[in-house]
Amino acid sequence: MTSDVKKLIHKYMPDSPMSRFGKIFTDTTEFMNIDYSDVIKLGNEHFLVLKNEQERRFGLVDPKYWVKRVKHLESGRTQILKLAFYETFPMHIGPFEIKCYRSPRKEDRILKLVKGDMRFMQGYSNDDIAGNNVRVLDIIRGKRLDVVVHDIPVDHKTYFYEYFPDILEKFIGACEAINFLHRHDEKHGDVRRDHLWVESETGAYRWIDFDYAFELYENPFGLDIFGLGSILVYLVGKANFTMQTLLELGTESSILNTLNSGDYSVVIGNRVVNVKKIYNYIPNSLNNILMHLSSSSSVFYESVDEMLVDMNKSLKEIRSL
Amino acid sequence: MTLNKILVAFDGSENSFNAVEYVGNIMKNYPISLILILYVERLPDKDLYRDDETWVSQCKKNEIEMTEKLSLAKQTLIKQGVSADVVTYQYFASCKSPFHDTDICTTGRSIGMDILRIREEGNYDTVVIGRRGVTKAEEFLFGSVSTKVVQSAADCTVWVVN
Repeated sequence: MTSDVKKLIHKYMPDSPMSRFGKIFTDTTEFMNIDYSDVIKLGNEHFLVLKNEQERRFGLVDPKYWVKRVKHLESGRTQILKLAFYETFPMHIGPFEIKCYRSPRKEDRILKLVKGDMRFMQGYSNDDIAGNNVRVLDIIRGKRLDVVVHDIPVDHKTYFYEYFPDILEKFIGACEAINFLHRHDEKHGDVRRDHLWVESETGAYRWIDFDYAFELYENPFGLDIFGLGSILVYLVGKANFTMQTLLELGTESSILNTLNSGDYSVVIGNRVVNVKKIYNYIPNSLNNILMHLSSSSSVFYESVDEMLVDMNKSLKEIRSL
Repeated sequence: MTLNKILVAFDGSENSFNAVEYVGNIMKNYPISLILILYVERLPDKDLYRDDETWVSQCKKNEIEMTEKLSLAKQTLIKQGVSADVVTYQYFASCKSPFHDTDICTTGRSIGMDILRIREEGNYDTVVIGRRGVTKAEEFLFGSVSTKVVQSAADCTVWVVN
């Protein structure tokens, strides 16, 4: 096997300095055994494994052994392979623990649905010889949207008047993308800040990771809508606000004293969603959208359509400020 | 108030059996033309299964289990003294069901709206539904069939049984 890999590397990457040559895998079932210098063969395509992808959360680095950074030997492109991994894990949203499933076939289906739609990550699937669905994904060169927003080096007022209108306009586009999925009876499944990326070259907002599946019946798109609302709260505030972060920001006590339980998120009880109380120049039309997520609200958005109507109205108003 | 035709929304849970019993207690001595115990199918999400075969097998298992519960609910009413002639049940299948090929089916978008659609089409005077008592946050994230029915019902009476 090693000599076969060596031949492949010499054929497709004659200038490669690689000195270690692994095995060729046509069956990816035991994905923990596939590592650097191995080659995954799918149909007639060959993918040289460079490393396992990692997730960085809460200061910890967590290797994702089923997600491989690879070089597609036939084209020389660096890509990501997501191997079939039928994981079930608890997802925590506020006080709730929701049973979440990782579904290769959901991601496969959505990749087909959004092919050519650059509001989403792009890729395709192929089965290995054991029938495992492997998703071949293009890498988005860019940064998470929240990191981009956090790094804008201006005070909030300047951010709100000079940067936010364009950000809101693009975010509306990202919401329309999720609405497109819903119209096709598909859920994104994990709408959160680190799954919306800003492509460096184009500035486009693009969604990633569609393999989360849940059992939701009466409100099948509720989690996606909650995710979109939470991102909007972050974008409006240029941060998430808890009492602790507000104190760290040096927020005046005259403002802090006005906060009551109705100003906090209905789901994440310590997060302020009434951002207008922090920054009084935020127009009502925008703040009212955020208040749909508050514990004082009795009316919640049932569809992204409803949110889009309000966001578009608000954008018009903000543009005219 | 007319009590001619009653639709009892049923999902096999303890709450929905409570709703059935509540109806039985009231209706055992009351002249009525029909009590429909309605189950709107909730197919298991296909994405939670490795292949269609496993999913179909789970669908079958669920349907058998639910049909048994529907039958039990009907017997509960009869035992309480409601005439067997006026009690019936319906398994309202999903449009995506692997076993049913019907023109009228549930899309799975909203069970509450399906219940109200059948209520309207069948001219039921009263809808009866059990409630779990969800919090506002749960309602936001996961929805609530009883809340949906209460909020959207028109031209009928709704009994919510806690």
